[in-house]
Amino acid sequence: MGNSTLYSLRSCSLRSYKQVIHLRGVSKQFDGKRKVVALERLDLDIARGEMVAIVGPSGSGKSTLLNLLGGLDHASAGEIEIDGALLSKLTDDELTRVRRDKIGFIFQFFNLLPTLSATENVSLPLHLRGWPRKKIEARAQELLDLVQLSARTTHLPDELSGGERQRVAIARALSVYPPILLADEPTGNLDSATGTEILKLIRDLHQRLNATVLIVTHDHAVAESCPRTIRIRDGRIESDLRRAETVAL
Amino acid sequence: MILLRLISWPYARKHLLRWLLTMAGIVLGVGVFVGMHTANQSVLAAFNETINRIAGTTQIQITAGEAGFDEDVLEKVQNVPEVRAAAPVMEATLSLTALSADSRGKSNLLVLGVDMLGDRSIRNYDLENADGSAVDMTIDDPLVFLAQADSLLITKTFADKHGLAQNSRLKLRSMQGDLVFTVRGVMKPGGLASAFGGDLAIMDIYAAQKFFGRGRKFDRVDVALQDGVTLEQGIAKLRAALGAGYEIQPPSSRGEQFEQTSRTYSLASNITSIFALFIGMFIIYNTFAIAVTQRRTEIGILRALGALRGQIRTLFIAESLIAGCVGSALGVGFGLLLAKAMSGYIGKILTDTYGVSQSVGGLDVDPRLIVGSFLMGVATSLVAAVLPAHAAAAVDPVKALQKGSRQMLGEGENARRRWAAVACAVASSVALLFSRNNIIFYVGFLLAGLTAVLLAPSLSLWLSHLLRPVLSWMRPVEGRLAADSLIQSPRRTSGTVAALMLSLSLVMALGGLARASYTSLSEWMRVALNPDLFVTTAESVTSRTFVFPASLGDELRAVPGVAEVQAVRSVRVNVKGAPVMLVALDVKSVERRAHLPPVQGESNFMYQRTASGAGVMASENFVRLHGGKLGDVLEIAAPQGTLYLPIVGVVRDFSDQQGSLLISRETFVRAWKDDAVNVFRLYLAPGANEAEVRQRILNDFGSRQRLFVLTNKEVRDYVNRLTDQWFGLTYVQIAVAVLVAILGIVNALTVSITDRRRELGVLQAVGGLRQQVRHTIWMEAAAIGIIGLVLGLGLGAVELYYAIEISRRDLIGIDIAYSYPFGIALLLAPVILAAAFLAAVGPAESAVRGSLVEALEYE
Repeated sequence: MGNSTLYSLRSCSLRSYKQVIHLRGVSKQFDGKRKVVALERLDLDIARGEMVAIVGPSGSGKSTLLNLLGGLDHASAGEIEIDGALLSKLTDDELTRVRRDKIGFIFQFFNLLPTLSATENVSLPLHLRGWPRKKIEARAQELLDLVQLSARTTHLPDELSGGERQRVAIARALSVYPPILLADEPTGNLDSATGTEILKLIRDLHQRLNATVLIVTHDHAVAESCPRTIRIRDGRIESDLRRAETVAL
Repeated sequence: MILLRLISWPYARKHLLRWLLTMAGIVLGVGVFVGMHTANQSVLAAFNETINRIAGTTQIQITAGEAGFDEDVLEKVQNVPEVRAAAPVMEATLSLTALSADSRGKSNLLVLGVDMLGDRSIRNYDLENADGSAVDMTIDDPLVFLAQADSLLITKTFADKHGLAQNSRLKLRSMQGDLVFTVRGVMKPGGLASAFGGDLAIMDIYAAQKFFGRGRKFDRVDVALQDGVTLEQGIAKLRAALGAGYEIQPPSSRGEQFEQTSRTYSLASNITSIFALFIGMFIIYNTFAIAVTQRRTEIGILRALGALRGQIRTLFIAESLIAGCVGSALGVGFGLLLAKAMSGYIGKILTDTYGVSQSVGGLDVDPRLIVGSFLMGVATSLVAAVLPAHAAAAVDPVKALQKGSRQMLGEGENARRRWAAVACAVASSVALLFSRNNIIFYVGFLLAGLTAVLLAPSLSLWLSHLLRPVLSWMRPVEGRLAADSLIQSPRRTSGTVAALMLSLSLVMALGGLARASYTSLSEWMRVALNPDLFVTTAESVTSRTFVFPASLGDELRAVPGVAEVQAVRSVRVNVKGAPVMLVALDVKSVERRAHLPPVQGESNFMYQRTASGAGVMASENFVRLHGGKLGDVLEIAAPQGTLYLPIVGVVRDFSDQQGSLLISRETFVRAWKDDAVNVFRLYLAPGANEAEVRQRILNDFGSRQRLFVLTNKEVRDYVNRLTDQWFGLTYVQIAVAVLVAILGIVNALTVSITDRRRELGVLQAVGGLRQQVRHTIWMEAAAIGIIGLVLGLGLGAVELYYAIEISRRDLIGIDIAYSYPFGIALLLAPVILAAAFLAAVGPAESAVRGSLVEALEYE
């Protein structure tokens, strides 16, 4: 039995297949000289294929929430279930495998590796999964086509514009077509025109790939472009708003 | 000062591990230096202390090399009016096996044969009663002592150590077989009784002559002068009375002679300990260079706030001063511990190699050495920090405050280094052309090393590029990232690579020299040491304490199975102001049996002239170390008059590090009036069984006198063991050098994982398992190891040439053929890879255990 199925068997629940993200009583506390409660008893369900914006002032806990959902950090209390996997029950490597198979990350500062070309950056997760080289090359090309960067495959991050870097980061996040995309201020480091372009791309990919997308943002325009907006304040969900219509960007 | 507290201290606290590693470089460098020197110094001091304590009120000692002289010399000395007292002495060291159940293993006992009646005017024998009270030594005591040849005085220390007391009996093995001595007195601790660490016994001189088989000879005469007679006057009068052939000098000269005899060892240990410090300097340089790169933003802010370039420079220099002071202080402490552990071992090496015993008790700590080493450590730290401090002062505040940009090794900086390297290489090559001059030669050697150091950054960058596809092929992500990490941060890598390169080149040079020496030694042993059996007076071939009577040779010749017997006498004599080994042998027999080919000169002429007493065969190292060429006439002082013998041939001979002179036995017997023998070399008749002949000799002679029979293999093994001991110490130093280099790798990787924190975080965020993160760190360490290895093996080829040349010029004086030690190179590859892996374990674990969230936000 492969490792990738191990965690599913160990922690799979009979929860509705529709709920891809499920949080119950999740708290996060940072222990330092002074204890800081970043999230407090959070309950949240996100269905497969939803596009959700998470908004809130600085320090409200929205990035902490994204880190917990992505398995980058551990909750102090409560349960987080991602596509059937109960994160608190997983070992570090099992958690990594959840990240690798089910989650794609898009960061504000792109987090591309500066010494790798666009293709190499996109190929990175695939190499880590041990895919054969030819399959990796084909997938990388396909993804760069998808984000309209076919002409920049051999360029290093330093040779790309901010928007192009974020496209590479998006292509990398999509490398295994994960069911969940987590984006932390994806437009925060871009000018407004480029930001709009990137958001369009994310929406487009969401529709074409039916991925669940969570976007942490400060930007109202970005939030309004999402069908659901969750507002967080002082570590709690202040509001959870669903729109019939979204603002097209 | 305020900058130190506000800027440096928080940085040092944050990177405590790195600072500790940096200081470990200084600690090891200074420690090895202090340790080696203090251990050497302690051995020498122990030897000198024994001389001084035994000397008593002796002002002048008269000797004639190790062979001693006839008893009538004493009378001649006593007849000199300027002499107040003259006492004959026999002095030798015995190796004792366990004397009692309390004392296990082997120990050495210094036996002093004295004429008790006359000797009390030179030395003070402070005896105690059985109850510990002092004995007023009346004239009756020495008479009792003289009347009974089995009398022995021992020290309280020795008595306590071996459970002996007054009237105890003690069995010692003499040239007349086992003799039982009776303890007639126990000397109180202090003064004479403290000589040789208290392991001292006094016996009557005539008993000692018999005991050691020296015939009617004395080793030396100790002289006290009349009041008002100066040392110079005394020496002049004695020289006039005795003629040439005697060494007439104050006791302190013996220490100087020992120092001179063991100078090869001192020089070798100096070179390697300085090398260790030099490698430590690279670790410090590396740390500061990295610190400057990492603290660019901080420096930029300081500059933007108005800090002057000089203030930035001073800040870094002050940091290095503090690191240097703390590291050097710890290094001195570590060195003293090291010296304590090593002094016994070094003492044993010197005893085995030079046949001169000493008993090392406590450490002899020279305050000048401690202060000097401390200052040297601090200076090394300062020198290593000069360039990084200069680089820090030159940081452009605007560029430094731009986020996210990494600092590459400037192409201009690299080009300047390359040009400097070319200049050094050319100068080093030119120096080779004029290398007859020692100073030019050593300058060339330094320039060759400098060339390698200057080229190290460019070469390591180039090799990193070469390794990238290989590492990528092995592990597409981990390998590529590892190679990129090296390429992106040449500053971080190059210092570590340079330290590793220097360490490994030292290993290659010394290891290669050792192998080449073994090869030459084996060849020499095959030709020169070809007798089947060796009959000796001790288990150690170098020991010259006891001697055989010449008549034993005839008896050995009569043993069935023995075809030929060669008598060999070795004594250390002063020639050209140096203590060299004079070997007297049956030249014709040697010519027939071994036929040692001359390195210079014509074979037949050489053997003929030496056999007839008209010439001397000089060893290659004698000629090289003390000057001389074919035809040069050597003055060899002997009791029966000075010998003037021309060098009629130069041969390869490894008998002695100071060089050896081979003369005919007849010449020696005539000039020294001494036909005693140290070793009989036996050739067996065809078909004779070696074991049977050996047993026969032991049966026939072993019971009646002290005698050992060694096979050819045992002697060769002994020589090889001796060589191993020599290189064994060198290997310890090499291990320290490699350890320093490994510390460098740990240091570089610790910095690397800090620099790559975000990269490693991204790797994990996009699905990299912990094992994959570990792989990338391990591969980076392996790459540093491989680059250091490649450069080290390359530089090692050059260093080996210089090591052989230094050995030929200044150490052993023998031509050793250059042969690159491929075996060692092959052995080093897995050792260094394993060491690199070990060095990477800690940093790799640290990399996978950190917070991912913090890593991704890390700027």
